[in-house]
Amino acid sequence: MIEKLKREWLAAPGANIMAGIVVALALIPEAIAFSIIAGVDPMVGLYASFLISVIISIVGGRPAMISGATGAIALLIVPLVSEYGLDYLLAATILMGVIQLILGFLKVGKLMKFIPNSVMIGFVNALGIMIFMSQIEHIFGISIDTYVYVIVTLLIVYIVPRFIKKLPAPLIALVVLTAIYIFLGSEVRTVGNLGNIKRSLPSFFIPNVPFNMETLQIILPYSLSMAVVGLVESLLTAKIVDNATDTYSSKNRESRGQGIANFITGFFGGMGGCAMIGQSVINVKSGATTRLSSLTAGVVLIFLIIVLGNWVVQIPMPILAGIVVMVSIGTFDWGSFRYLAKAPRTDAFVMVVTVAVVLFTHNLAIGVVVGVLFSAIFFATKISKVVVTFESLNVRNVVRFQGQIFFASIDTMIDQIEFKEYDKAIELDFSQAHLWDDSAVDAIDTIVRKFEEKGNTVHVSQLNADSRKIVKELSRLNEQHLT
Amino acid sequence: MYKKILLAADGSENSYRAAEETLNFIDGNSEVTILNVINTNDSKDDVLHNTPGESINAKRKEKLQSIINFYETNNIPYKVQFEHGTPNETVVKIANSEKHQAVVLGTRGLNGLQEMVLGSVSHKVAKRAEIPVIIVK
Repeated sequence: MIEKLKREWLAAPGANIMAGIVVALALIPEAIAFSIIAGVDPMVGLYASFLISVIISIVGGRPAMISGATGAIALLIVPLVSEYGLDYLLAATILMGVIQLILGFLKVGKLMKFIPNSVMIGFVNALGIMIFMSQIEHIFGISIDTYVYVIVTLLIVYIVPRFIKKLPAPLIALVVLTAIYIFLGSEVRTVGNLGNIKRSLPSFFIPNVPFNMETLQIILPYSLSMAVVGLVESLLTAKIVDNATDTYSSKNRESRGQGIANFITGFFGGMGGCAMIGQSVINVKSGATTRLSSLTAGVVLIFLIIVLGNWVVQIPMPILAGIVVMVSIGTFDWGSFRYLAKAPRTDAFVMVVTVAVVLFTHNLAIGVVVGVLFSAIFFATKISKVVVTFESLNVRNVVRFQGQIFFASIDTMIDQIEFKEYDKAIELDFSQAHLWDDSAVDAIDTIVRKFEEKGNTVHVSQLNADSRKIVKELSRLNEQHLT
Repeated sequence: MYKKILLAADGSENSYRAAEETLNFIDGNSEVTILNVINTNDSKDDVLHNTPGESINAKRKEKLQSIINFYETNNIPYKVQFEHGTPNETVVKIANSEKHQAVVLGTRGLNGLQEMVLGSVSHKVAKRAEIPVIIVK
């Protein structure tokens, strides 16, 4: 226990603190931009990133993973904020935390393996597209200066990393271009036009909403979506960090940790959040291995905001828009085009459906659920093909079954049998089949009865151990049929 | 002849040519370390496009199989080393770890613009490694 704590907190402290600082610098523009997407003051996202980073560093399951205010959650809550305001968002965040905590205790981490790659790829693609679309209003049709700032930002974030490795390029773009704006002035909107920056630590307060059923009805659908999307992105990110570091992490602890972090954040004026793929990769690349990196990221972030808050309001919006466009490009899975050409047709279809549903409903959670449902249906169809073959050798008539026999496959199975035999000995051979449920057993009973009605004697053979067990428990077949 | 030589290999055609070139610098008593850097930036792709049930590690090893076979048939002692990180930085770090006498690597043959955008691993390694660097074109 002590050993584990030491390893997760104190190994290579220098490298982890450095990585945390780098991430803090990269987090600031994103936290502000995601707040603006959600329609709240920048402080709501900044407080969320600060609180979630710090809390997750202690209660999360995946050391060196970074969590904070994310685009995925911001996109979900737009209608809630615009219709009901900030207090309802905070209440929804608290409830989101409670739901995640419950799901964590129910060990939902294990359920993640039921989300196929096709749905995950659809998820990140839909997220990338939605984040990109959210920036259109900040880029197009404002002013020539706006286009110039966006283009220069994009050039900086893609070219500068070739030469300067230690500092995050988005921060370089932010500092250099904001300085140019302050000295020269331009016709662009700034962060100050869209919200305020408070130079103080977050404080505890209870969201000002009526505590009644009506409030619950308003926030519950949002909280559910936020909880699901938060967990999907967090557990995907945890897998990515596991892979990048060749270590394993507890997905259930991470689920509970995300719940605790969101629950507390809601009481301190922060919006809901989850793990961030891009930031976590930056953290690991910068040398992070421990929880200290996540803690440092949160603390440095809020320190910088308190010290530099007056300048933050001067940041031109197009710089943030450029940075968010970069985030959206990094979020999109560019291997998808190859995937669409090569993957099985049903997988490619599920991926496209997931993206389409999200773009249509503006809700990533619905996309994931529909995607999983489709892939489950395809899977069931694929394995519900039972092949029945007949063999007549002199007096021996064998009906051979191949495949998985369960509720979805029994109809096609029975349709293949013609029941034309009279007064013969018939053997039903199940050596290459598996009976899964009571429908399967009923179907076998039906087949036996239909043959017997025409004077045949029926013999059921070669059931495997599992199938034999449910036949014994559920079937009306007697020992004579089975020996 | 070098006794300990480092081969930076990504499994590409170029890295196979680099493997062939090492034979001019070693004999049967030398040991080749085949270094494969797993780019942290590729982690997302790996996770999203991994076939369920197939281990990511097995896939990585498979990429190097042609190079491993090459050393097997030539009876050269070798070992395989996987490292996580950014390719050029990690190759430099291992090259400068004082365990190897020279480092061999292939080059993608990028033009000026591609090099500016993509970054050239061989260029960075040549500049910052403290042992002889053999770049195979």
